[in-house]
Amino acid sequence: MALLSISEPGQSQPKAHHVRKRAVGIDLGTTNSLVAVSSEGHAHTLCDHYGHCLIPSVVHYRKNGDVTVGEEAVTFGIKDSANTISSVKRLMGRGTEDIEYDLPYEIANDADGGMPLIKTVAGALSPVEVSAEILRVLAKRGEEELGGELDGAVITVPAYFDDAQRQATKDAARLAGLNVLRLLSEPTAAAVAYGLDKKEEETVIIYDLGGGTFDVSLMRLEQGIFKVLATGGNAALGGDDLDRAVMDWIGEQSGVGKSLDYGQLNELAAIARRAKHALTDSTETQVSFGSWSGTLTREQFNELIDDLIDQTIKACRRVLRDAGLETSDISDVVMVGGSTRTPRVREKVGEFFNTEVHTEIDPDQVVAVGAALQADVLAGNKYGEDILLLDVIPLSLGIETMGGLMEKIIPRNTTIPVARAQQFTTYKDGQTVMSLHVLQGERELVSDCRSLARFDLKGIPPMVAGAAVIEVTFQVDADGLMEVQAKELSTGVASSIVVKPSYGLGDSDIEQMIKDSYTQAADDKEQRALQESRVEAQRIIEALETALHQNGKELLSHEECTALELGITGLQEIMQKEDSDAIREAAETLNEASLKFAGRRMDAEIKSALTGHTLEEYE
Amino acid sequence: MEQALESKYRELQAEYHPDRFSGAPDAERVQALQFASLINDAYDTLKSPLKRAAYLLTLRGVDPEEHNQAHLQEAFLMRQMLMREDLEKFLEEENFEGLEKLKKETTGEQVEILDEFESTFNAGDLSIAKSLYNQLQFLFKLLEEINKAEEKLLDY
Repeated sequence: MALLSISEPGQSQPKAHHVRKRAVGIDLGTTNSLVAVSSEGHAHTLCDHYGHCLIPSVVHYRKNGDVTVGEEAVTFGIKDSANTISSVKRLMGRGTEDIEYDLPYEIANDADGGMPLIKTVAGALSPVEVSAEILRVLAKRGEEELGGELDGAVITVPAYFDDAQRQATKDAARLAGLNVLRLLSEPTAAAVAYGLDKKEEETVIIYDLGGGTFDVSLMRLEQGIFKVLATGGNAALGGDDLDRAVMDWIGEQSGVGKSLDYGQLNELAAIARRAKHALTDSTETQVSFGSWSGTLTREQFNELIDDLIDQTIKACRRVLRDAGLETSDISDVVMVGGSTRTPRVREKVGEFFNTEVHTEIDPDQVVAVGAALQADVLAGNKYGEDILLLDVIPLSLGIETMGGLMEKIIPRNTTIPVARAQQFTTYKDGQTVMSLHVLQGERELVSDCRSLARFDLKGIPPMVAGAAVIEVTFQVDADGLMEVQAKELSTGVASSIVVKPSYGLGDSDIEQMIKDSYTQAADDKEQRALQESRVEAQRIIEALETALHQNGKELLSHEECTALELGITGLQEIMQKEDSDAIREAAETLNEASLKFAGRRMDAEIKSALTGHTLEEYE
Repeated sequence: MEQALESKYRELQAEYHPDRFSGAPDAERVQALQFASLINDAYDTLKSPLKRAAYLLTLRGVDPEEHNQAHLQEAFLMRQMLMREDLEKFLEEENFEGLEKLKKETTGEQVEILDEFESTFNAGDLSIAKSLYNQLQFLFKLLEEINKAEEKLLDY
């Protein structure tokens, strides 16, 4: 082994390499999940004896503790919706306050975390536990195919999943007894599914339009390495929105308007979905709702959804810009997700990139297929040239600094694994504890970013403000999971944590966070200036108060002392205003006013150092 | 040169990436993680002209951030101010072409200063090289802001 010299000769190959490892690729989806296996570079998804490969991501709980997953659970859902959990992926790594939409089941708060718990007859369950049930069923299907216990699994996650969501997914896998070889981003997996027997060098767009989300990634394949160059998307845009466009159209045409109850809306949604599916192969379809019936042509349908598709194109443009490329640089476009079956989507995306889009692999299965191919490689089953996948971090990582500001330490789209260190200093004299607040997001204010973790670095030796230097290192591994380490440089006090989910934001908020960082950049800048001016003013006030307390009476006349105290109160008043220039000016004035005092303190200190002590005292 | 960096980077990642050690003992995997992080960092540093210039100075014992504005020429700062005024004006007028022109100007100036940096650095004139680096910092920051302004106009 080239990497480590400490391994004894022969020791690093303890396993007989002729034994094939059992590995699976799992696409743990919001609506459906899949499992696939690979052998000799060929992968296929596993189906049940009815030929169904997609397992609905639905779990039903019964009072006696019985759990059912998939189609069977869906049937239960109709009569027992309170104990049937669907779309649990939306809750992974989220806090209760993130759940803004209505759920058919009751949510309780976890006692020690912000994790939502779903109340069922089988007790309160976390999203991690529910996901683990789905994973168990998928793993079992894999075991039956491969004939024994699994050695490992690659599980895919959306590219935009943050640390908490990834951690929750990995926890679910562990709970299901799976050894996670790698968390792989879904678009990267899709690229692998297509990328193996292709040209030597290419630049690929992965266009992934699912039921509720849109994801786009730009990748470069070179020397057997797939490197993600940029990733983006819209976490609140998907096939459901295409259905909604058709629903609105039916509502308008039939005149039923908006006065529909829950059941009627469900029926209308199903009719819209059927119409959408029908228009994939036909140029027109009959639609009827209640007493109304009419014809929807593909042309009309295209018009209804063009705005939505244009939004995805905009995200594509943004990703190109992030990577500094043009559409002409793109050699292939891979389509992922059931919604890319819609002909208009293929047409418009193909037009934009001026190329034929890839749809050879079933867009519902392509992610699982890619995951299986990579699982086989990572488990150690060699065949030909291995492909290596270099992912990026989707949202910037940073830390809270004084005044509620987010300091970015690792910007988004940085290749992982990555380690970055940043130094901070203490703020007050004698400060022995420093709190670290780890954040993820693109905005400048802490309150607009996702809070990942808080921890305290204790035992900093008491020194004057600014003398202790704390180095904070962020380590993000190949799964996109982070570890934070903090160290006081003069004494080496170390404190390390693995970030665990605390609370956070919904998927649509992530999209909003990225968007807001641009549209509100100017606003942020003002806020930032204001916060900074307040921090600086506060620093001056605290330093002056400490000094006044220590030897103000000895070194200053009564008038001088009062003047400075009045200056402090005056500055505190101005700090309440939303005017950074005024605060800065007032702080500067107070600082200048205190210069004479500072000079006297310095003289006094030197004098006491020269006269007050003997040499022996220091020995 | 860029191709050589790219090629070396991929070669090293292919050897040391944690995925190459997925079945290895924990200690080896931790080390692979550290190696791969270091390789990514090295690649980032060498690929960005600004980071690379800072790194070169550090290698020669010069702190690139020391008094980073104090010695910049008034003429340079003046021009920077004017360019920034242009940036704000174009953003306000939603003048994308103006921003593009400003971007070209900034990039052109960057290239010139980078050339100058290279020759002074190679000649061993480190204090001038450092001052050029500090000018580059201004220009990169400006470019970043032009990009942000453009994205705002593009409604990203």
